[in-house]
Amino acid sequence: MFFSGLISTSGMVGSSMATPFGNYRIIDLSQGAPGAFCTKYFADYGADVVKVEPPRVGDETRRTGPFFHDDPHPEKSLLFLYLNCNKRGVTLEVGSPSGQELLRELLGKADVLVESAQPGYLQSIGLGYEELERLNPRLVVTSITPFGQSGPHRGYQGNDLVYYAMSGLMYTSGAYDREPLKHGHPQSLYMGGITAAYATAAALYAREADGRGQHVDLSLAEATAAHHYTAISRYSYAGLIERRAPKVEGGSFKGAGFEGIVPAADGYIGPSTQQGRQRGTLAEFAALTGHPEIDAPQFATPQQRQERAAEFDALVLPLLRQMKKYDFFDAAMADGWVAGVVQTQEDLARCPTLHERGYFAEVDHPVMGKLMFPGELFRLPGAPWSLRRPAPLLGQHNGEIFCGELGYTRDDLVLLRQQGTI
Amino acid sequence: MNGPLEGIRIIDSTTMVAMPTALHLMGDMGAEVIKVDSHTLYRGEGSLFPDGKPGPRYWDQDASFNALQRSKLGVTLNLRAQEAVEVFKDLVRVSDVLVENNRAGAMDRLGLGWEDLRRVKPDLVYLSNTGFGYTGPWRSYAGIGRMFELTCGLSQFTGYPDEGPCRVGAAFFDLHVGWTAIFALLAALEHRNQTGQGQWIDFSMYQIGVATMGDALLDFIANGRNGARMGNTHPYYAPHGVYPCKGDDQWVAIAVETDQQWEALVQAMGSPPWAQDDRFADALSRWKHREELDRFIAQWTASYVHTELMGLLQALGVPAGAVYNAREELLDPHLKERGFFEKVAHHPEAEIGTRVYVGRPWRMSRTPAFIRRPAPMLGEHNELILGDLLGRSEEDLAELYDLGVLGKEPANQQPPGRGQSVERQIEQGTVAAYDPDYKKLLGI
Repeated sequence: MFFSGLISTSGMVGSSMATPFGNYRIIDLSQGAPGAFCTKYFADYGADVVKVEPPRVGDETRRTGPFFHDDPHPEKSLLFLYLNCNKRGVTLEVGSPSGQELLRELLGKADVLVESAQPGYLQSIGLGYEELERLNPRLVVTSITPFGQSGPHRGYQGNDLVYYAMSGLMYTSGAYDREPLKHGHPQSLYMGGITAAYATAAALYAREADGRGQHVDLSLAEATAAHHYTAISRYSYAGLIERRAPKVEGGSFKGAGFEGIVPAADGYIGPSTQQGRQRGTLAEFAALTGHPEIDAPQFATPQQRQERAAEFDALVLPLLRQMKKYDFFDAAMADGWVAGVVQTQEDLARCPTLHERGYFAEVDHPVMGKLMFPGELFRLPGAPWSLRRPAPLLGQHNGEIFCGELGYTRDDLVLLRQQGTI
Repeated sequence: MNGPLEGIRIIDSTTMVAMPTALHLMGDMGAEVIKVDSHTLYRGEGSLFPDGKPGPRYWDQDASFNALQRSKLGVTLNLRAQEAVEVFKDLVRVSDVLVENNRAGAMDRLGLGWEDLRRVKPDLVYLSNTGFGYTGPWRSYAGIGRMFELTCGLSQFTGYPDEGPCRVGAAFFDLHVGWTAIFALLAALEHRNQTGQGQWIDFSMYQIGVATMGDALLDFIANGRNGARMGNTHPYYAPHGVYPCKGDDQWVAIAVETDQQWEALVQAMGSPPWAQDDRFADALSRWKHREELDRFIAQWTASYVHTELMGLLQALGVPAGAVYNAREELLDPHLKERGFFEKVAHHPEAEIGTRVYVGRPWRMSRTPAFIRRPAPMLGEHNELILGDLLGRSEEDLAELYDLGVLGKEPANQQPPGRGQSVERQIEQGTVAAYDPDYKKLLGI
């Protein structure tokens, strides 16, 4: 392991306490990050999640980096590892009749199906929501697709970049005179995953009243578009169309009014004009940095700072550049400002707050070995998180589930394997 | 029809964006959400009013407040008064969930911390949202959504490759944290239903934001790698970017992931000779020569309208999307057909009229969610909640109004100014354009 410092484990041991979703069986037929992130939430809080992958190739995230020691081996995707701990895994060819039979048997006993097939595909093989409702009226079916099950774009191809474009978020992100910009890490996929998780949990809550499941139809493009609500309000209240960063004559759009992200001596910081819920004054900011010369009358108001941005930047940015990023951040935050520091992965991996809060666990993976693992999202004291098992190897639980639970024989398993069904 | 969360009563003692978002969505889903406000505190950002003109009840007209507090009932309780604390406890007795986002320890000082309230309501689900949690060296630090982009590790990936990190135009982690809070609350309610026990949840925005960076964090842990600005590029696909289209500041995003999509794109471009070059023959060489590839594609896209190009490419199976602005989003026929935006008629006294708000990114087939009511006017449901729900008499209420515990108008009235003119905002580039006929376009 490259990084072997600082390991504080919240434990790899199974918990005997009640877990909120411990009574639920979830079948995750989805491909890619969003569905897996959704079912990760349930697995982390106790559900029995069975990840269903296509035989031989497995889930697409197995072919997605980063890879352990940069070795693109199907069992070494760190993305797959992150998303699928605490789950069991089987393989099954959805396109074949015997694969569909296996899936039907799994779904007959399940509480939730999470799937991400093109709208219409599951209907075409007799596994659309109406058929599934007849098979198991208690089943909650959560469909995660780029544009949802209805509407003129339902057949459109989508991915992270397309969602950012059509959500309006790109139009308001980036520099005034450059191309629109998206987040540099595929956030839309994570946003889709958590949206699916809470909507599925709500559908399970509704089921307690009358025992009936339902179909949850989620659009990844809409999960990203939900973030654009302030720009939507601006149009809906006043007809104004928001755009990227204001035009700042000659100055850095990032420095304007010190609301941007600016260089420090050893990285980047986000200075702030806010002290708690109030705006701090320039004099207070000057005191914070130890440079009283910042408090010049011609920059007193945010409007003045924006109008004289180039001049203001020329004064302030070199002074901030002399400060170390955590020196600035800690001084500002301790003084009640709401500031930011651009943290790298290394910073996060070493972060004393995350360690003290027990965020990191240790995973023991049969192929990758022991690895520090980003774990508990939030703590439910009545039912703490635990890392019960590493991400499954491809088809690892075929025997356990198909023979142990569905009653297939070992001979069946061998046949199904050789026929390419599992 | 009933929503999925019918029967849950929630006290919303929160401000900012993340938790109000969680709770308005739970309100959309049928939970009864009681927003506890105070007429003694500043309400909303005061930044945007109907047509930019604050009216007589300006405190009820803030666009952000109204977007964030929909589907809720509203009471005013000035918690600096002991009588208000008692009313709050009465409310807790008949509720299932309490969510608050004060700085760590503030609720304890009011006598409304978990230890106080578990005596009042043993099976209460109590969620405290703070920037960095109740433990750890940063526990006293305040956090706001737009700074978590930086602190959670996202900003180091975000920006043009030739520049430093860049902010994205939304308070990005607020919604993620809010959505996670819904999941946490439903998990805790599930736990309560099984065990009869409530619990206190120490929710840290920072920790929840970092969870979206898990694979990147593992890249450092296993490989010692730190990320860098990516612009709109992809770690292994090309072409992948936004390309200029006809008109001012119009763009289309194109993201090719397979050889099949590449061939379809080449066909759409009319199979130009350059596309047959060895440099673009397969995925690896396209990725290696992505900058040249982008220049060729940008020449082709420049003569098209962005939405037309999107339709043309999508018809051939190429992932493409017009870079929408707010108007284009609101008028998009797909989002319209799916009912992504909802019209809400406000109370006539608030002088807001009907406005359009973002709905939810999902549909439920059997228990639909929808915006149940507009955001409450200040103190709008004092009588309903304190009288009908808690059984306080009219005399009690009158006394609480006299004592300044309840109020329907701000204690300190500070009518906001008009703000900058539209012309000035366009000149400074803070807005791209103004549509005088926006109401007609939106049908409101």
